[in-house]
Amino acid sequence: MKPSVWQRLDVIARGLVPAFSVFVLLLINLLPIGLPLLSAASPSLALMAVFYWSVNRPDLLTGLTAFLLGVLQDLLLGLPLGVSSLVLLLVQTISANQGRFFHNKSFVVMWWGFALVAIPSLLVQWLLSSALIGALLPIKATLISYMLTALLFPIVAWLLARTQNSLLRYV
Amino acid sequence: MAQHGGPQQRIFSPLRTALHRFAFILLIFSAFGLMLLGKADTVLIERIRAASADLVSPIMSIVSRPAASIDEFTDKLYNLAHLYEENERLRRENRQLLAWQQAARNLSHENNRLRDLAHYTTPPSLNLVTSRVIADMGGAYAHSLMISAGSRDGVIKGQAVIADEGLVGRIAEAGYQASRVLLITDINSRVPVIVENSRDRAFVSGDNTNRPLLTFLTADASVAPGDRILTSGHGGAFPPGIPVGIVSSVSENAVRIAPLFHRHQLEYLRVANYGLHGILSEQRIRQSLSPKNPAATNLAPEIPAGVGVVPDDSEIQAGQANTSEQTQEGDRP
Repeated sequence: MKPSVWQRLDVIARGLVPAFSVFVLLLINLLPIGLPLLSAASPSLALMAVFYWSVNRPDLLTGLTAFLLGVLQDLLLGLPLGVSSLVLLLVQTISANQGRFFHNKSFVVMWWGFALVAIPSLLVQWLLSSALIGALLPIKATLISYMLTALLFPIVAWLLARTQNSLLRYV
Repeated sequence: MAQHGGPQQRIFSPLRTALHRFAFILLIFSAFGLMLLGKADTVLIERIRAASADLVSPIMSIVSRPAASIDEFTDKLYNLAHLYEENERLRRENRQLLAWQQAARNLSHENNRLRDLAHYTTPPSLNLVTSRVIADMGGAYAHSLMISAGSRDGVIKGQAVIADEGLVGRIAEAGYQASRVLLITDINSRVPVIVENSRDRAFVSGDNTNRPLLTFLTADASVAPGDRILTSGHGGAFPPGIPVGIVSSVSENAVRIAPLFHRHQLEYLRVANYGLHGILSEQRIRQSLSPKNPAATNLAPEIPAGVGVVPDDSEIQAGQANTSEQTQEGDRP
């Protein structure tokens, strides 16, 4: 039986959920929060989401989507253009290829995997930003950012897992 | 992914892998292409950045309200706990401020008299646009904020952004309804300043830490921790006399200052339109590239430099035209 127009639209809309969730997390990253620590270095929420979706649903968050979300992140956060695109694209490709490793394993394994992937990602981001700005950026802020990113991953992953279970079970 | 292999699958599967690989390499190259473009065509990138700020500003201005109200709630709790001490402190401060008010009145009167005597031309008047902070691009790489005012409110790139305490930064990109503010702590920020007491000139250069550097100080300059740093107004970008910070540490190779604002507490900011267009406006850059006057030097003499400089007549008129336009829009809360 051929699916009706509405059914197809529904499938398309659900397919856009991963990309949309990254966009929402980007906006959450932008919220002015009255904590001194967060204004100096913020967790990279987009990185967590791109990793999560690439492991669990690489068919719905492709390299191109990761690239475009990176452009958006650079534009919104005022970073040198192209840096986040490269980082998110690499994270997407690597996690999508190695994603099967995390299937049917406990969440802690995935957490460790993310903590490992986040190190080179943030380092590349720091190095390229420094090179493009033309001065070495303080590494301390990047370290704090890494700590926050690694520690907050379970919360974001839990939220994304809830989203995945409720919206993407049959897509 | 479809697992049932057929003759079609056998032909298309390697093709698809090759295509994927090609797309990946293409995207990697485009990322580097974007980096080059970002370095080469800054004007285009600025427009795109401003447009993207405009795009998210309606969402951010709504979503940032609950975040602000949570802040308000914690603030209230804190204030309630410290009511007594705060009251005592304010009483003391009020007594001191009343004394200062008297001194300021006397000085302002004297200043007016002296200005009359010396036929001093007053610098262009300040025109402020108040707006709310709707986003904080908090991060290790860029120190900037987004505010809910743009070109429709008279905000132009290069204008000074001020909080109650002092200078916060300048407008990096102005969209139609939102703009990005580059903080003085950002690595790309340079602000011409003077030391309040010694009147030594210098630059406040950000380095992405909370304590920007005081650079280009002369060798015989006398700076000590606790000295106040003010904008000098050189270059015509910022109005003179806005407090920037307090010298926090002086060592052999670096003088660092503590900005007067706390980034996580910024809520409302004012954008100062000084009538001068600043050295950063594209119009001015174009003017300085092709001097109308053949006798003009390469030093771009049309750029006013110095405290209380007198702009050309045409510039004053243009400034007035600007002001009258903006008073209608600028009064908006």
